[in-house]
Amino acid sequence: MMSGKEFFEKRYEKLGWKYRDVNPRQAIRINVANSEPRDIVERLKSRGIEVEAIPFLENGFWVCNSKLSVGATPEYLLGRYSIQEAAAQIPASLFTKPEHRTMLDACAAPGGKTVQMADQMLNTGVLMALDVEKRRLAALANHLERCHVKNAVVYEMDARQVSKLNVKFDGVLLDVPCSGNAATDKGWFRRRTIDDVKRNAELQKEILAEATKVLKDNGELIYSTCSLEPEEDELNIDWAIRTLGLETERIDCYGDEGAINVFGKELDGSIENCRRIWSGRTQGFFLCKLRKRVTRK
Amino acid sequence: MKLINDFAHRFNVSLSIDESLVMEKRNRHFLLNAELKRLVSRDFFYAGIYLGKVKNRIFFPSFTLLDMIAEKEKANKTIINRKAEWLFVCGRDLLKQGIIGIAGSRGKGTCTLVLNERGECLGFGKIIANLSEAKDEHAAIVKNISDIGDFLRRER
Repeated sequence: MMSGKEFFEKRYEKLGWKYRDVNPRQAIRINVANSEPRDIVERLKSRGIEVEAIPFLENGFWVCNSKLSVGATPEYLLGRYSIQEAAAQIPASLFTKPEHRTMLDACAAPGGKTVQMADQMLNTGVLMALDVEKRRLAALANHLERCHVKNAVVYEMDARQVSKLNVKFDGVLLDVPCSGNAATDKGWFRRRTIDDVKRNAELQKEILAEATKVLKDNGELIYSTCSLEPEEDELNIDWAIRTLGLETERIDCYGDEGAINVFGKELDGSIENCRRIWSGRTQGFFLCKLRKRVTRK
Repeated sequence: MKLINDFAHRFNVSLSIDESLVMEKRNRHFLLNAELKRLVSRDFFYAGIYLGKVKNRIFFPSFTLLDMIAEKEKANKTIINRKAEWLFVCGRDLLKQGIIGIAGSRGKGTCTLVLNERGECLGFGKIIANLSEAKDEHAAIVKNISDIGDFLRRER
């Protein structure tokens, strides 16, 4: 049977990792466009919330001790910080100088990474955010209002139709819909099958192809999933390099190198530039920074 | 635009908003910057700065609009202490004991922004009793009309 805990554990072992149950710590990210991190840390401390800087993130903090919900403080309601899992804070941090640029978050809801992108853009330029699920757009809009985002436009739109906007982007974030991982979904092994993974991988390829069309030459595309399945990660990037005119860029962030041999299949060597984060201190995650090759006319 | 200016006047101030940059979408009003305005298409869901919405002919301001009004020095403001801050964002009215000071108009029926000790806008309310005349520390002075705890209540 192509499902079940044992099946997936064996796959992870072939990729060099021994599965273990983990509970990722709660994390927050301070919105620096409207806050001073040290000030927020002190304010939280005075409310009985102790946080600790996450060593591999600039504005991320783990919640160590909390007498109350970090999602109900006046500082949270004032948009001074967002609740965002540590690994999920990495993708948006990988863009090079996003201020005054035209950027796209193609699978945006519920908006944690959209707000982070706007924060890194210091509310300059234009940030377009799409999501296909209308009910999730209300949560995204609330998130933008709470965090005082001023440079975003949100559309109810399938990422596979983004070229209809007739806009070319300097940077695109593709935090694509994926199969997820067992660190954040305790029933994951019971529910997931390899067919789900393959179906998601096909959808992700379609989104990658469409996003590449709207990316400017030399533009940056950050691809991420919270799936540990190589079909949704390295294999998709291998396909993108071969078919879409994208190339990987080395990124300096938390995580292991991407696998270049997946279940006996040799992939493009540059996939080592990707980052695979096995569940542990964070949830499972995969990241890749891609650049669109300049087309010669 | 008139409804936004009328709302600001309730706090004794005027806002200078470039009307050409304001867009309405399903009774919700947004203020865009020029770059956003150039690129946005009509079928957006949310854009730029959300100013507020009209429902049953009543204008409901966004918290960003309240911030914009709070930036005006002459706006009616009530400054509250830390304990009252917590109670206010939980939807409670302001009692005399929690109020540090009132700036601007103080008459009954006046709209007032509610700010914490750091000057951050937490919402707004209506003055229902005279602060200096109230003898009881537990007397309600400002009725809560809208507070940032709404961000949590909306998602329930």
